[in-house]
Amino acid sequence: MRRAVEGLALALALAGGAVLLALIALVVSSVAGRELAEASRTLFGARVLGQVPGDYELLEAGAAFAIFAFLPICQLRGGHATVDVFTSRLPPAAQRWLAAFWEVTLAGAIVLITWRLWEGTAGKLPRGAWVETTFILQFPVWWAYAAAFAAACGASLVALWCAGARVADAAAGDPATGS
Amino acid sequence: MSDLALGFWSFPVLLLMIFLRAPIGLAMLLCGTIGLWLATGSPAMFLNRLKTEGYTTFASTSYSIIPMFLLMGQFAALSGMSGALFRAAESWLGHRRGGVAMAAVGACAGFGAICGSSLATAATMGKVALPELRRAGYEGGFSQAVLAAGGTLGILIPPSVILVIYAILTEQNIALLFTAAIVPGILAALGYMAAIALYARRHPERAGTMPPAPMAERWAAMARVWPVVLVFALVVGGIWRGWFTPTEGAAVGAAGTGLIALVSGRLTWRLLGEALVATAVSTAMIYFIILGAGIYNGFLALSQVPQELAAWVGAQGLGPWVVLALILLFYLVFGCLMDSLSMILLTIPIFFPLVQSLDFGLTPDQTAIWFGILVLIVVEVGLITPPVGMNLFVINAMDRATPMTRTYGAVLWFVGTDIARVAILAAFPAITLFLI
Amino acid sequence: QEVTLRMHQFLPAQANVPTNILDVWADRVEEDSGGRIEVQRFPAMQLGGTPPELYDQAVDGTADVIWTVAGYTPGRFPTAEIFELPFIAGEADAEAMSRAYWTMGERHMFDGELSDVHPLGLWVHGPGLIHADRPIEAVSDLEGLKLRAPTRTTTTLFENLGAAPVGMPVPQVPEALSRGVIEGAVIPWEVTGALRLPELVGNHTEFGDQTLYTTAFLFVMNEDAYEALPEDLQAVIDENSGLEFSAFAGAQMAEDDGPARQAAVDAGNNIVTLTPEQVAEWQAAAQPVTDAWIEGNADGRALVDEARALIEENAM
Ligand code: NA
Ligand code: NA
Repeated sequence: MRRAVEGLALALALAGGAVLLALIALVVSSVAGRELAEASRTLFGARVLGQVPGDYELLEAGAAFAIFAFLPICQLRGGHATVDVFTSRLPPAAQRWLAAFWEVTLAGAIVLITWRLWEGTAGKLPRGAWVETTFILQFPVWWAYAAAFAAACGASLVALWCAGARVADAAAGDPATGS
Repeated sequence: MSDLALGFWSFPVLLLMIFLRAPIGLAMLLCGTIGLWLATGSPAMFLNRLKTEGYTTFASTSYSIIPMFLLMGQFAALSGMSGALFRAAESWLGHRRGGVAMAAVGACAGFGAICGSSLATAATMGKVALPELRRAGYEGGFSQAVLAAGGTLGILIPPSVILVIYAILTEQNIALLFTAAIVPGILAALGYMAAIALYARRHPERAGTMPPAPMAERWAAMARVWPVVLVFALVVGGIWRGWFTPTEGAAVGAAGTGLIALVSGRLTWRLLGEALVATAVSTAMIYFIILGAGIYNGFLALSQVPQELAAWVGAQGLGPWVVLALILLFYLVFGCLMDSLSMILLTIPIFFPLVQSLDFGLTPDQTAIWFGILVLIVVEVGLITPPVGMNLFVINAMDRATPMTRTYGAVLWFVGTDIARVAILAAFPAITLFLI
Repeated sequence: QEVTLRMHQFLPAQANVPTNILDVWADRVEEDSGGRIEVQRFPAMQLGGTPPELYDQAVDGTADVIWTVAGYTPGRFPTAEIFELPFIAGEADAEAMSRAYWTMGERHMFDGELSDVHPLGLWVHGPGLIHADRPIEAVSDLEGLKLRAPTRTTTTLFENLGAAPVGMPVPQVPEALSRGVIEGAVIPWEVTGALRLPELVGNHTEFGDQTLYTTAFLFVMNEDAYEALPEDLQAVIDENSGLEFSAFAGAQMAEDDGPARQAAVDAGNNIVTLTPEQVAEWQAAAQPVTDAWIEGNADGRALVDEARALIEENAM
């Protein structure tokens, strides 16, 4: 089970990372195209090169997917920012229960965000004659929402597993002290 | 309870949650959603906000600078730029008293010029320089303090993730903020070197030296840091010259360092994967706080706390300089307990309108930039002030044999130069503004 | 007071539209209600979210009253888009356009595109024009010009005319202009002051008595918030909204063009005014955009004709 969850989180992180690399390549080629547009016109007599149309729209859609895909690995590796000074003096059992409590709350929050994202996606689906599209490329906005929602589902699964694992840890106590 | 009272009481509740070890983004999200629920009498408000808030926050093309700068730092470390920087600085300074430590600060400044994050700078330079410092005979606490302080240069010297976030929150020009940060960033590095010189004079037994390097070796080491110069010139210079927007600059920088890593021959598939995963973890951590802060700040605006606070401060008849001093003091105190990103996200929507309403004899834009740099410095001090200093934790984790308290003691010297620098920059806005 | 209405919009509080139009509406409503209604004003997206979400915030009650640009959600308000078609205004001013727009709204939008809100005002701004780092006179001057276009229809228009449209939010325009990321921007005079445009570019192209384009705005209220009001307070809202308020708002925006234009004149900038022959060249080049809109919408031809007739009627 643990391996499957780790595999899922890692796969999502790498998928998000691949999208991030693709977005970087997209933005760089768009900048290059824009800066070289004039040169290409003098060279070939027509504007062969130019800014990639809708580059910022693709950047938005891709970034939303990538960030949702980054959430699971962050939670699995304990990457969220916390302040430990005040709790570090508590007895180990109390610390474990506190950690379990926040992990459950965090899982609840991520599931909530995922559920609302589903509602957000549904709100962008075609309604009657019109569908909300992006400005330049005019692709339906719900495509991007749906991709982000898919990643958010992965984040929810991992979050629920993490919550369960922390509660189990706390309930089992520390084998060394038996507390 | 009135909306205003709700907004006011949400502060202590938020702090309590954070001190009970709640993930900071989660604590803000909870305070924001529950606050909206209580203020409007129904959960509909936050449920509706959340339909699009997650997507639009994560899709923001301005914030997408963050993962790109983080990946750029990963690539820079991978391609060996951190090591090259340290060796170049060490060959020039290593034989002086405290010289290796000064070299570490210099290398941090150099790495800060191509990395947008303080934690990444501290972690990367720590890996390279901490073993070297120990080998040269430096005491553990002092070595860690040097690198923790040097790490803050990652954000003080542009490019800087915190400045990007400040620019977005206050609708200021990122390129101008980057430019304004250059001189204060260099002053920070010089101040840290001065702190090292003083400390080494006071405790000569805690510092060591290296044999001087021959001149030819020094120049050879300098020649190896050209990629750093190139990337800094391309990214910061390119944004400044207008070849591209800051978002585009971040992409160019990430692509450039990626290319250099590829050419250096160190970039394997495995390392690429690790770089992406490290970027993923830090990015998700930052965005989760941004998301929570967005909801919480929406609630604060609804409760009218920022407006009422500005009105209240106005009614007290305090001079602008007193208000500024109180705000900076607030950051220093809270910086001991909070991390810089959440402090910025929490307080700028409250303090910025207040500061804009004060007359410092500057234009509104000048005030915004100058105040941004001052805030940048004071929140970065928070990274090295005990007990909660993220940079201290990062460095201490690399050498657990050194007790944290020793690091705490040594780092106060660096905090001292930080406070002196803030006082100087606050008293003379021209130092920050003359470049723009 | 009995009722608090949260009014949310994207511009800073001191901008023209909030001070000269939205605050005026809010003050009148507060006064006429004898203080029983309070309008809390949240400028600059203070309640959170991004400008394209404003309309949904009014639908779901996150805000009670919102002001937004119809084109922020492309495809959602096709009828509003008619008023953004190039040269549709003819010689009509923003007030006449706004009257026509509100009337079209009553006939086609309130039970359709706007059925999930309570409309308060529909208006357009004064004539949009081209601001660029070089004089733009003929269509051919646009070739390769990196230019920020404001709406979906103008983006298509300038693409067809050979320019290289760049999509970006208005607040980024000054920075992009000063750094050469874009070489020109298409907006009405009224906005140029806040963006300090006359300092950044030296040339402004006006189209004589014709209007190149305008932007359609929506000023709407949450349906439940309106229904929940007692009848006498609903009447207060009604009296201060609707056709006459829309006309006032359109006229006010056109009036706000004046000082901004004067600032450009004072700065010694070059204001190009196209001759009717030159305008005709632009109109011919823009025709395919209108044709494409008619093609792409059911009853497109009839709707455009109806809007044109209303505009002409109100312009007299
Ligand atoms: Na930096
Ligand atoms: Na601290």
